[in-house]
Amino acid sequence: MSDAVQSLSRFLPELILMGALAVVIVADLLTQRRPLKNNTDLLNGITLVGLFGALVTSWQALGAVEAQSLFASMLADDGLLGVFRPIFCLTSIVVLLLSMRSKELEGVRLGEMLALLLTVTAALMWMAGSVNLVMIYLSLETVSVASYIMVGYLSSDRLSNEASLKYILFGAVSTGAMLFGLSLLYGMTGTLDLYGVRAALAEGAFGPGLLFVLILIAAGIGFKIAAAPFHFWCPDVYTGAPTPVTAFLSVGPKAAGFAILIRFFYLGLAEPAGGGAIVPVGGADWQMLLMMLAVITMTLGNVAALLQTNVKRLLAYSSIAHAGTMLMAACVLSVDGVQAIAAYLAIYLFMNLGAFAVVILAHRVTGSFEIDSYAGFWKRSPLLTVAMGIFLFSLMGIPPFAGFLAKWYVFAAVINAGLGWLAVIGVLNAAVAAFYYVKILRVMVIDQETGPTPALAFSRLDLGLLVLLVVPNVLGLLFWGSLDRVTEYSQTLLDLG
Amino acid sequence: MESMASAAIFYGVAALVLGSALYVVVGKNLVHSAFALVAAFFGVAVFYVYLGADFLAGAQVLIYVGGILTLLLFGVMLTNQIYNLNLRSGAIQVVPGALSAGLVFALLVWIIQSVDWGAMDAGDPGPTSESIGRLLVGDYLLPFEIASVLLLIALMGAAMLVRRRGSGSS
Repeated sequence: MSDAVQSLSRFLPELILMGALAVVIVADLLTQRRPLKNNTDLLNGITLVGLFGALVTSWQALGAVEAQSLFASMLADDGLLGVFRPIFCLTSIVVLLLSMRSKELEGVRLGEMLALLLTVTAALMWMAGSVNLVMIYLSLETVSVASYIMVGYLSSDRLSNEASLKYILFGAVSTGAMLFGLSLLYGMTGTLDLYGVRAALAEGAFGPGLLFVLILIAAGIGFKIAAAPFHFWCPDVYTGAPTPVTAFLSVGPKAAGFAILIRFFYLGLAEPAGGGAIVPVGGADWQMLLMMLAVITMTLGNVAALLQTNVKRLLAYSSIAHAGTMLMAACVLSVDGVQAIAAYLAIYLFMNLGAFAVVILAHRVTGSFEIDSYAGFWKRSPLLTVAMGIFLFSLMGIPPFAGFLAKWYVFAAVINAGLGWLAVIGVLNAAVAAFYYVKILRVMVIDQETGPTPALAFSRLDLGLLVLLVVPNVLGLLFWGSLDRVTEYSQTLLDLG
Repeated sequence: MESMASAAIFYGVAALVLGSALYVVVGKNLVHSAFALVAAFFGVAVFYVYLGADFLAGAQVLIYVGGILTLLLFGVMLTNQIYNLNLRSGAIQVVPGALSAGLVFALLVWIIQSVDWGAMDAGDPGPTSESIGRLLVGDYLLPFEIASVLLLIALMGAAMLVRRRGSGSS
């Protein structure tokens, strides 16, 4: 019991989020009869304060590098959780700001949506900290259930309903597969603790049987990060969901999925081999499994994105391709890979949410998500076009922008690990990706719009949001040194146990 | 002799569970399917008894058979249209489906045969509720609390789904 009380002091961001959740639910009930605008403003304010509180406390917690296990070894509060917590908070803050400007969510009561956003942010943190099979499953399921509801939030919109149903069906199957895999793993090792799993696997070779179990578990994790061949839900759900929710799904759960992937494979299925390197235990070649997933995911995402005409679908396939790039870094089998993934996600957060911010702002005027509707944007709003250009070039990984740094970390880690052929496939994929990102820009700049072209007007919030998202992308290279500190934090991943 | 009887009951119950679960999937009548589900859940409770998990067996009967299924049957019977609905549970892509199901089945059988599960004799089964209770407020306190958060949002989602269209935005 005293362990639980002691753990609370390192559990502050999650506690703040849960407190804000309680306040939002009660405040929503109390202001039910007030005009919609009052109700929404109040709840947005409370949620924003809660998320900011969590961001500040998780930023402070980042200073404490010493790793510690919490709640009887359910969570590990180490550098990995430390790096991921601010990523989740920032994502949710940006998504909240986006939802205030989204045309789709106008005139809709947002009480449940905000409560879900707070819950899912905390659940993402639980995912990133899990070192116990029960915790992995429970936190993943909490994120999933909250996401299903958020996707289907527009109950009068058929596409939103369809997306939610598809998401639930795919989610139920992949979670079922994962749960089955986890139960078999528990049977093999006799323990739920990841460190215990490692110790038990180190004693005997389980070989192909273990590999089958790992494929089942990879189905659950792959569903969360939208890796092929578990990606089928992704384009439809991204298209049907309210766009702020789409933006959230493309960053938050994906990041947490990678945190679980790292924890599960690097802690539970590998032993530290000194110098930050790890060696797989149990006689299953999961490095090969991850490499195959990475190659399929990258290639499929990029090739399918070439054919898209809807910008949300295109960004869905692009997010699949980015998951493939990060999966490459997961094949590295050393802390370098962990560092590359964490740095990639921190940058991906700004470039991808930036692209979605432009999509949402453009939708306010055009009312459409088709790429063709962006014709003539250069004349209508040079500002929006330049912002979109920066986000897309960053997503491509073109040098002056932060996206280049992200790709650099991944490719450096992959090449240093002696996986040159994988890096070559990655570079080819990055070249293919440039085609569809440039396609959007070409429509915005070169194509002429037929009909009237009123200039676009923005509120202060829109401008602030764009600045918030553009600055990290432009000044990314200045953070070269500070991203190296991520290494220091990710080193502590292997400290406990 | 006793173990023979025990094995006979086990396989009998297993056949009951599998058969009724199959009927739930392929049955054309929703009420019949719901009753078949009762049998499947009850059979699983018997398995828990075999494993010496007395508390789980009780909870299974109380929650699934007593709670969820009764509610389900109420829902089905109070809705006239659902009762008359002819479920379209036709099979498509039978061959690829059967092939992949067979493959997974073969793989699982092979794994269950080949892996050393480290099984041990549990000895005489005793009451488990006390140790489950201690674990829930001890080592598994955090998962216990997170489960309550999960249930809370599931409840919110259910309430949101059934809310009449338009009443939320007035």
